[in-house]
Amino acid sequence: MAGALLYYRLTSLGNLVAYRLRRLRQPKYLFGTLVAVAYFYYFVFRRVGVAWAVAPGGMRPGTAAASSLFAVTVTCAALSILALIRIAFAWAFPPDTPGFRFSEAEIGFLFPAPIPRRMLIHYRLLSNQAAILFTSVLIALVFTRGGSLGVHRAYRAVGWWVILSLFDLHLNGTRMTIARLRERSSHDLLWRLAAVAAIVLYATACFWSAFGVAGAAAELGNYFSGHALDDAVTALLASPVFPWLSLPFRIAFGPYAATSAGGFFLALAPALLLLGIHYYWVLNTEAKFEEGSIAMAEKRAAAKAAAARGEGPKLGTARPKALSGPFPLAPVGPPEIAFLWKNLLSMRSVLFSRRALFIVLGLVTWVGVALRPLLAVRTNPADGQAVGAMVLIFSGIVALYTLLLGPQLARQDLRGDLANADLLKTYPIAGWRLALGELLAPTLLLSLVLWFTIAAAAAAFDPAGRFEAVTPAVRATIAACLALAAPLVCLIQLIVPNTIMVLFPGWYQAARSRTAGVEMFGQRIIFGLAQFLFALVVLLPAAGWAGVVAVCSYPLVGVAGAALTGSLMAGFILVAEAAVGLWWLGERFGHFDLSGELR
Amino acid sequence: MIEVQALAKSYGSFTAVRELTFSVRPGEVLGLVGPNGAGKTTTLRCLAGIIPMTAGSVRVDGHDLAAEPVAAKRALAFFPDEPRLFDYLTVRQHLNFVARIYGVAGYEALATPLLEELELADKADVLPGELSRGMKQKLVIACGLLHSPRVMFFDEPLTGLDPLGIRRMKDSIVRRAQAGAAIVLSSHLLHLLEEVCTHVLILKKGEKVAGGTLADVAAQFSNGEPNVSLEEVFIRATGGTEG
Repeated sequence: MAGALLYYRLTSLGNLVAYRLRRLRQPKYLFGTLVAVAYFYYFVFRRVGVAWAVAPGGMRPGTAAASSLFAVTVTCAALSILALIRIAFAWAFPPDTPGFRFSEAEIGFLFPAPIPRRMLIHYRLLSNQAAILFTSVLIALVFTRGGSLGVHRAYRAVGWWVILSLFDLHLNGTRMTIARLRERSSHDLLWRLAAVAAIVLYATACFWSAFGVAGAAAELGNYFSGHALDDAVTALLASPVFPWLSLPFRIAFGPYAATSAGGFFLALAPALLLLGIHYYWVLNTEAKFEEGSIAMAEKRAAAKAAAARGEGPKLGTARPKALSGPFPLAPVGPPEIAFLWKNLLSMRSVLFSRRALFIVLGLVTWVGVALRPLLAVRTNPADGQAVGAMVLIFSGIVALYTLLLGPQLARQDLRGDLANADLLKTYPIAGWRLALGELLAPTLLLSLVLWFTIAAAAAAFDPAGRFEAVTPAVRATIAACLALAAPLVCLIQLIVPNTIMVLFPGWYQAARSRTAGVEMFGQRIIFGLAQFLFALVVLLPAAGWAGVVAVCSYPLVGVAGAALTGSLMAGFILVAEAAVGLWWLGERFGHFDLSGELR
Repeated sequence: MIEVQALAKSYGSFTAVRELTFSVRPGEVLGLVGPNGAGKTTTLRCLAGIIPMTAGSVRVDGHDLAAEPVAAKRALAFFPDEPRLFDYLTVRQHLNFVARIYGVAGYEALATPLLEELELADKADVLPGELSRGMKQKLVIACGLLHSPRVMFFDEPLTGLDPLGIRRMKDSIVRRAQAGAAIVLSSHLLHLLEEVCTHVLILKKGEKVAGGTLADVAAQFSNGEPNVSLEEVFIRATGGTEG
């Protein structure tokens, strides 16, 4: 039996590789592959080649080692927190019928076959190992931090394999335990609430004990120096409570965080024992997994079919719920507003589910309570300046990501309506108006984020008043100018991915499909680069002319006036660019025929 | 009402439809028939302005589809074979949305009897995900009829409907035609065409093989035999092979 299953896996793998190679005859896959290979060569393998050549020989002193230790420690801490959140989530919101991740074909062939149930579980768990092994090696190659700690990269890969395998097994074990609880009693909700409460208490205890000790050992802002982190970690591990509380995570992360070959092997033994315990747990829970597995497979197949039809991936697993419109839609008026209304409605269903609200509120509340000792450390005047700088940096990062990645994520526009393209084209609306209407909702969403960052940055700028020229009035004027330009910039940025979809629907469809592969990675890089370059081409003239006008008008009208005239100039150029973009997108959409492109 | 002159549609070197000329007047129902791949759906999509034609001209309700697409589309409705709906709009919200697109003032007064006629009144506040395929089809029809179109294109209108639904759909098509609408529909169900259509257009490999009233086309391929069925006409006209 095991031989048949092994045959299936190996033959499928061979055919998959052959299929991927044959697919390279199509330009969209070939270019994607070339770009991905170039990326991996320049940003991963070349660095790895250098780092791999460093012979392991224990931790090397100096800044590199301290920086690597910092990176590894922060990685462990961050992953521990994420794992706890994910596990709590698994207990709080399990699927209606928990199961394993079988494909529909596997269910069709293996479930009715004379294969023992335990063999099916073995098969499923070991099948996951292929993906986990690949991911472990890739992470070890990509993230070169930690190389300075002196252990060979192969050890690091094994460390990642232990972490990912444990996480996979723990989630499967949780799912099966919940299924078993449901079979035995109708009060599984109480058990699940108790589990979530236990996780929250455990996390709180960990944080309090950690910050209590670490806060005394080192200044928070000096962790980057390495020595302060050393002191903090040493103090933590010498404290009475934290070492015991963190034991499961220290075992799980032990091989990954080892600083020598000897330390690695010492850490590997308990980690493997923990893996064994988890495997035993999953295998022996003896819950009925068949129905849940079928439900999961059907859901994945439906998502795959929807992607093939051109429909976007759905966030979350819950079925959409009927909601009242975001505002009353009058039957007569500009049709663009109808699209805004429709897309806001779908956006609300996707983004603002009760579950998401519950999670965000829960996390905020918990952070507020659990991290009080950390948040209430000091209140000296220098801290105001530091906090202001942090808010500025954070706002800048969020704004940049919103502009560059936001258009890829907020897809409630033409891209979300790809499946309804035929219907949209029968509407009696000019192309540019349809394009504008479709883009209004994501423009509004991204603009809201940008307005928030502008307001935060304006409020946090220079609390000590060191820049005399930037009075509160000037600051407010600049913020208002930026806020006015924000929707136009967002609109232009959203035109880019929609235009890519209309011009290259075949490429767009391929890149959106859930199929993994190096060529898909390459295609996404191409799209990302196109977005970035277009942003430069479109925004630079506006910014340049705004700068020229502002500098010229500064002697006459002062800082606030210069900001105002500069932004008016930028606004004029951006409006013209957006108008041309919308007109062209509308025209192209009118001639867009997915069936023809995919022929 | 619908005037088509030398319509052609190509995809690269492949010609899906070539030199198609016909017209449909108010009250007429034209049935498009042909083997798989004959170009029926491509023709309908060109007529509805969904895809641009490569050559030729189409006038809908007196408006040139290429020169005045907005005015032409205001008069038409397209009913696809696969009901495509917006995932997050309820039945009622679909009608509200479509009313705004077509500028149907006081649409509520039209929507209520329409929903009742199509037996969707009790589903007015549910999302498409909770509707059966037949109900989705009905919602598409309700949306299409809301602006009282004078020209209608149906692509395989009976797909997925139960026997009662089929009967109602046939009655509805005939009723709309009697009220003055010009209708084009494509279907493989030849008995439907015999019951509903006044005219028929047989396509093969994108070309018109025969066209005219049912009696004219039957006479053309009857070889002098009386009472030749449309099925027999179709097989003789297409040579019994695929498109």
